[in-house]
Amino acid sequence: MLRASLKGMASRKARLALTSLAIILGSAFIAAALVLTSSIQATANDLNADRYAGVEVLVQPVEPETQGDRMVREGVPADTLAAVGAVDGVADTTTTVTWMINALGSNGKVVGGLAPTNAVNWEDESIDRELREGREPTADNEVAVSAKFVSDAGLGLGDDVTAYSLTSDKTAYEIVGVYGYPGERDTLDGGTELAFTTAEAQHLVFDGQDEYTTVAVHAEDGVSDTQLLAAVEGVIGEESQAITWKEYNEEANAETAETAAYISYFLLGFALVAVFVSVFLIANTFTIVIAGRLKEIAMMRAIGAGRGQITGSVLLEALILGAFAAVIGAALGVGGGWALTSAASTYLLDTASVSLSIPITAVVAALAVGIGVTVLSALIPAVRASRVPPVEAMREAVKADKPITAMSITGGILAFIGAGLMVLGLTETIDKSVEVTAVGAGLVFVGMTLLTAWLSRPLVAVLGLLWSWNFAGKLGRRNASRNPRRTAVTAAALMIGVTLVTATGTLMSSVKASIEDYFEGSIEAELIVSGPITAAIAPSFDPALMEDIREVEDVDAAVELYYDPADINGTEQFVYATSDIPSGVGLYGGTVEQGSLDDMSDDEIAMNASAAKEVGVGIGDTVTATFTRGEEPHEFTVAAIVADNENSDGWYVTTAYTDEFYTTRPTSALVDVADGADVEAVSTSVDDLLADEPEVTVQNQEEFTAQVTVIYDFVLIAIQLLLGLAMIVAVIGVINTLILSVLERTRELGMLRAIGMTRGQTVRMVTVESVTIALFGALLGIGVGVLIGWALQRALADTGVDVFALPTLLIAGYLVAAVVVGLLAAIAPAIRASKVNILGAIAYE
Amino acid sequence: MPLANPPAPIRTRSAVTASGLWRAYGSGEAQVLALRDVSVEFASGEFTAIMGPSGSGKSTLMHCLAGLDTTDRGTVSIGDTSLTGLGDKALTRLRRDKIGFIFQQFNLLPTLTALENITLPASIAGSKADPAWVSRIIDTLDLADRLDHKPTELSGGQQQRVACARALATRPEVVFADEPTGNLDTRSGTEVLKFLRTSVDDFGQTIVMVTHDPNAAAHADRVVFLADGRIVDELTDPTADAVIDKMRGFEKLALDMNADNASGQFTGLNHSGAA
Repeated sequence: MLRASLKGMASRKARLALTSLAIILGSAFIAAALVLTSSIQATANDLNADRYAGVEVLVQPVEPETQGDRMVREGVPADTLAAVGAVDGVADTTTTVTWMINALGSNGKVVGGLAPTNAVNWEDESIDRELREGREPTADNEVAVSAKFVSDAGLGLGDDVTAYSLTSDKTAYEIVGVYGYPGERDTLDGGTELAFTTAEAQHLVFDGQDEYTTVAVHAEDGVSDTQLLAAVEGVIGEESQAITWKEYNEEANAETAETAAYISYFLLGFALVAVFVSVFLIANTFTIVIAGRLKEIAMMRAIGAGRGQITGSVLLEALILGAFAAVIGAALGVGGGWALTSAASTYLLDTASVSLSIPITAVVAALAVGIGVTVLSALIPAVRASRVPPVEAMREAVKADKPITAMSITGGILAFIGAGLMVLGLTETIDKSVEVTAVGAGLVFVGMTLLTAWLSRPLVAVLGLLWSWNFAGKLGRRNASRNPRRTAVTAAALMIGVTLVTATGTLMSSVKASIEDYFEGSIEAELIVSGPITAAIAPSFDPALMEDIREVEDVDAAVELYYDPADINGTEQFVYATSDIPSGVGLYGGTVEQGSLDDMSDDEIAMNASAAKEVGVGIGDTVTATFTRGEEPHEFTVAAIVADNENSDGWYVTTAYTDEFYTTRPTSALVDVADGADVEAVSTSVDDLLADEPEVTVQNQEEFTAQVTVIYDFVLIAIQLLLGLAMIVAVIGVINTLILSVLERTRELGMLRAIGMTRGQTVRMVTVESVTIALFGALLGIGVGVLIGWALQRALADTGVDVFALPTLLIAGYLVAAVVVGLLAAIAPAIRASKVNILGAIAYE
Repeated sequence: MPLANPPAPIRTRSAVTASGLWRAYGSGEAQVLALRDVSVEFASGEFTAIMGPSGSGKSTLMHCLAGLDTTDRGTVSIGDTSLTGLGDKALTRLRRDKIGFIFQQFNLLPTLTALENITLPASIAGSKADPAWVSRIIDTLDLADRLDHKPTELSGGQQQRVACARALATRPEVVFADEPTGNLDTRSGTEVLKFLRTSVDDFGQTIVMVTHDPNAAAHADRVVFLADGRIVDELTDPTADAVIDKMRGFEKLALDMNADNASGQFTGLNHSGAA
């Protein structure tokens, strides 16, 4: 049997090669995902190990038990440092003072985007800093900068750089040195760094207090880290804590592991899609191979081969194919994983020293999935093959297609149940409505996949109208609906990918539309002053500018907003402070429900209705609020309650306590332009006023929402790119099906050519069949995807995604892509069909 | 018969002319000469059968006459069009417009109904078949109540009658029939042959039929005998018995020739036809 299988496979090389491509892709993706995850972690672990290498114990401030983005750190006080230095067994101590700051580049703008710019004290020994040019900073107005800062900021040795923090004003520093890190690296984590004297670093980070972010402790010879830890813990106060370097390193590694796991889930998710699509492709190929070998199988049965032997021979073939493809896939995946790791290390970690780690699970998983999926997918065709009656060997008859009733009924039932669940979930008649809706959407998806065959007849007929002007097109369209099962399986492979991208696309465009709608519908202000939300430090500006902005012609009102994630009666709440509370609320479209916002005093507070309910207070009640930088809580009396309105939701106080806010300067401003005035002109004037404010810009509503929604575009693009993989598998599927169809119809093609069909017409016929199948799959995918996207949008409507928006451009793009897929897939089969040897095709034995 | 008869073509005009045809397959030792200097004419409105033992070259001759295969030497004309030197496009067009085909395996398109199969050549050409003519053929073949059926819903005889209708629907210069009764039972086969006869007698159709069945050949006006790639004899107004007698003679001849000719001509013909 093995010999027969191998010989049989050898005679079908081309088709098996195409099929194995799908398996290879799936296996490779899985292996690559696991290798990448593991290697990135290994590489990152190596880098982590460099941090504080040789140190036994680290003393750090106790992280305050707060929530949200409250990031102001307490430091380790100077007396603790002194106490630690005096402990028996301590050889010496070094200190680190570091936190995010803003530094301006040669263009006057804040350097960096997602990755932060950090200030550090030059004495810090957590990592080796290798001077490349110049010298270390010795005076408080001097700074050495990392090589990445030089390239990002466009500044160099001898230049002045302006830097400031949340607690310090803009100051110019002279760049006296440029440094890199071990391994010729320009950056540690993609960010930039400025090294100051310890005193200046403390000025920037701790507002001038003699505190430290970390104290690193070296042990004397013969003192173990645990002994040292115990000794150090004895002298530090409650505000500091000590850990061994080992523990510190483990924590750092655990953090990188978490990040690496995210990457891995993402890649594995797409690997699953590729594998899922391959199932269809493989099952189809084996069905096709068996269909072509009916006579041979029947003959084997006739001469005495048992059913088990037939099934076995098909499965054996699947096993060989699966093993072959999975080994190649695993190898490619390991290679790909390594290449990706190198790329990621170079671009994300900026290190050329990559630690390649090939976990055994990567190879095992890739092989298991490749082989397992192939054999399982071949199971149904194999069992079907064993049912071929021996008498088939004698028959010439065209074999009638197997009925698709059972499949269609199952699909119908599943889709129906799914739709039911979606209705239940969406009308919220039961608990966990989002989950129920999601399960329902999943069932509809599976049901529709099974229904593809049944749908193929009417849908393909409708699609056919597109080509009915042309006879070759008509024939091609009929060929596409000739074998609904095969067309369906082929189209389903394409449908899956398109469904996923359409569903995500629909959801994303709905989210975007909801955000846009929300801003357009409720914000009264024409212009908004704010900075990018991706900035490491919340962008802010000088409140003194507000006076100038109000002076601009045609400005009706201009309100600055301070923001703080404060603690109110023990809960985290968003607090806004502004000098003009009524206008601030008003420009956000808010209306007063109870009380009055006018002339609020410094110990009065206002909030929206649901926030009041959450905290359980009403007009005249007292609340206690502690702001991020505040030492003491403050008491406020509730002066007004504002109607719920997502823009204006939050708590409002006067600007009396903004010094205690996390960001002590206003983070945004709303500018109301007089009706009928030229918004552009006002915008330009405001922009001029902001010339010295590098963090913020003035934007109209459109620009502002575009800035807020840009992140969704990134997500969408990433998903589209990766799902392109599913498309490639689908193309292979279409090619496979078409080549088989052409082979099966050799005689028919010969006849058509004999009675006068030109090569061009033959090519057109096959191409139409191909494009029809592809379009059919895409249309189904778009239909189901939009449905699922719509269901998700409805389910999430309560969370603010209340506008449904079709990603029309994307959908048009998928349709075009489907046509391209169809055209590409048709090339080889169509050429083959047009070159059919007429004599060979019409000759008979 | 009704007046709608097309004017009978002048018998003396020749529909297909072949002169000095040579066709070889393979090369060197394995070379097989399928046609050796064959010259033959098929008069317009005549029903000719080509007979010969297996491997005599009769199928090759038909394929060369119909523009499906190329010749090494010699010329073929359909009507006043010479096939020599025509490219694939021109040959395809010629087959579409001037030639009808009837195959042993019927070769109908399973996706099309009987009527659509009948009008297939016209559809391929992007033209419309003459409805009066088509309905007349359909009546003659008694297919009127089968027009909406798919080939799988038709019997073998009915399928072959659809194939006959398809061959005649464009009023081709000549119809080539390759073993048209080979896959049919005697009754259906006779029906098909009777129709071919009728189409010659009533419609003035030219038909060239390759067959090995003497009874089928007996329906023709003339039988051309091929042996070993050469035309060796012919018979006009044949009867089945006369054909059988002739055949016996050639089979003996063929056996003698095979003795000094490399064997495997049959294989050569069917498998290297692509050359």
